[in-house]
Amino acid sequence: MSEAPAMTDGLLSSRPYVEVRFGGSGGQGVILMGVILAVAGTRDRRHVVQTQSYGPEARGGYSRSDVVLANAPIDYPQIQGLDLLVALSAEAARKYAGSLRRDGFFIFDSDEITSPPPMDANSYGIPFTRLAVETTGRTQTTNILALGAVAGLTGVVSVASLEKAVLSMVPKGTEEMNLNALRRGLALLPEEWKRPSI
Amino acid sequence: MELWYTHLMRETIDQDSLLVQGNRACALGALDAGVRFFAGYPITPSSEIMEVMARELPAVGGVFMQMEDEIASICACIGASLTGEISMTATSGPGFSLMQEAIGYAIMAEAPTVIVNVMRMGPSTGRPTTPSQGDVMQARWGTHGDHPAIVLAASNVADMYRLTIAAVRFAQRFRMPVIVLADEIVGHMRESFSPEIAGRYRLTSGDFDFTETYIHPEMVREVHPPHELGTLIHPHVTGLIHDETGFPTNDPKKSEQFLRELHDKVVHHRGELCLYDVKNVGKGRVAVVAYGSCARSARAALKLAEQEGIPVEVLHLYTLFPLPVEIIQELARRVEFILIPELNLGQYAREVRRLAENWTTVVSMGRIDGNLITPRDIVDRLAELVGKYESA
Repeated sequence: MSEAPAMTDGLLSSRPYVEVRFGGSGGQGVILMGVILAVAGTRDRRHVVQTQSYGPEARGGYSRSDVVLANAPIDYPQIQGLDLLVALSAEAARKYAGSLRRDGFFIFDSDEITSPPPMDANSYGIPFTRLAVETTGRTQTTNILALGAVAGLTGVVSVASLEKAVLSMVPKGTEEMNLNALRRGLALLPEEWKRPSI
Repeated sequence: MELWYTHLMRETIDQDSLLVQGNRACALGALDAGVRFFAGYPITPSSEIMEVMARELPAVGGVFMQMEDEIASICACIGASLTGEISMTATSGPGFSLMQEAIGYAIMAEAPTVIVNVMRMGPSTGRPTTPSQGDVMQARWGTHGDHPAIVLAASNVADMYRLTIAAVRFAQRFRMPVIVLADEIVGHMRESFSPEIAGRYRLTSGDFDFTETYIHPEMVREVHPPHELGTLIHPHVTGLIHDETGFPTNDPKKSEQFLRELHDKVVHHRGELCLYDVKNVGKGRVAVVAYGSCARSARAALKLAEQEGIPVEVLHLYTLFPLPVEIIQELARRVEFILIPELNLGQYAREVRRLAENWTTVVSMGRIDGNLITPRDIVDRLAELVGKYESA
């Protein structure tokens, strides 16, 4: 095996078993977020399983994507408790917040979720949609910007692996735009967006 | 030697890691095993297998056909098989129901083909995006008449690749349809695994060599020689009981002999066909027997139960039929009870109970709400049962 890329400093990079959920509504690119994180995790030499659940609608309806990253082979493929919840819709925040562990991370789009559920976990409310429009002019890059923020704040995957994963997964011709969104997310400062815990 | 698992290796993210979707892995396994004919009709949650075959088959000189329904799909596969092609189709419960009559025909005509059923909740259209193991007994007994069956069950993405290859080899060797059961979770999930598994994968039943040399050049006695169209020999293929010429017979002796041969070719090679894995062998006070997605819950439960002081043995079955009779009976002799978690109301538990009840108690644990059985569920049930047996 070749050398694994260096992990960013952060709490989730040091956990041997990490359970992540991306939740939102159909069309927000939530499943793609999970797949990109899974590719990045694989590049980091982690064992990875990605599953998903969604309604029958093309747009709207619920959508979620779960990723388990571990240092050893993964037996049970689904989520048993969350280390990281990324919510892009109020419904996702409401539905899944209860599964978060006390030492978990809750990261949400504060444009969509105006009254987040009270949390013990580390909470970050970030206006992903607005930042994406400011950075690239396209709301469609919200998911990639959010992924950058997630990696920057939690270290769940390394920045190098994430960049490569994004480049390999986004549509041709949109690489630079998505990379800009990703880097804007990575540059966010934790102290600026952290919410007080209860 | 040229690398034969080239389709899989194209998926590598970098030199030693892969992340593949289960259905995609199944298609790649088929391509690497030499499947060059695919006929199908799309259905969730199996459609990605067909999508990959549609894209990849023409490039390797194969034939892909989208048929008008699942009946036509399997019939086209049988037709291709009679010309010597390795053929495959993929579907889910509703389509699998439609295929049943032709599966019987393929058994009778000894036409090798592979049928993948990515199970979803039924009956009928049920819940398309929800996992289930409700088709286990249908895979065994869905078609009418006394017949043998070879049924494999995949529990992860690597299984989808290697069990599809195993299915192709079994189909060729025993000249009959082989069924691969997966479920929505395994089919749709993406999972990382090492490409090292591709060349040779260790299973408890022995070193299973997936390269083409695995097909024995001489067919075993019970297996009838193929009737291949286009070989200038005039074959006769029929679903009627027939003799060695391929033409129908009403002779009682010949009829019985023919049907027994169909069974014997499977039963006499159970040791070769029954792929399985035992964890914690001989160390369990109790055992969990599981397959498919539930085997993953069982493996996770093993670790959890150890922490809580319950010694558990886990028998993970990759082959459901022919029944691993000896393996289950050996296990039954050494444990206090066997728990069987399944995403159905105990279909396989009934089979295991039939084999094991002389030696131990078999407890069925079924779940039919569309969710997986969690490791916690299994450990809680084991603790409850251990308590029950201690107080008894």
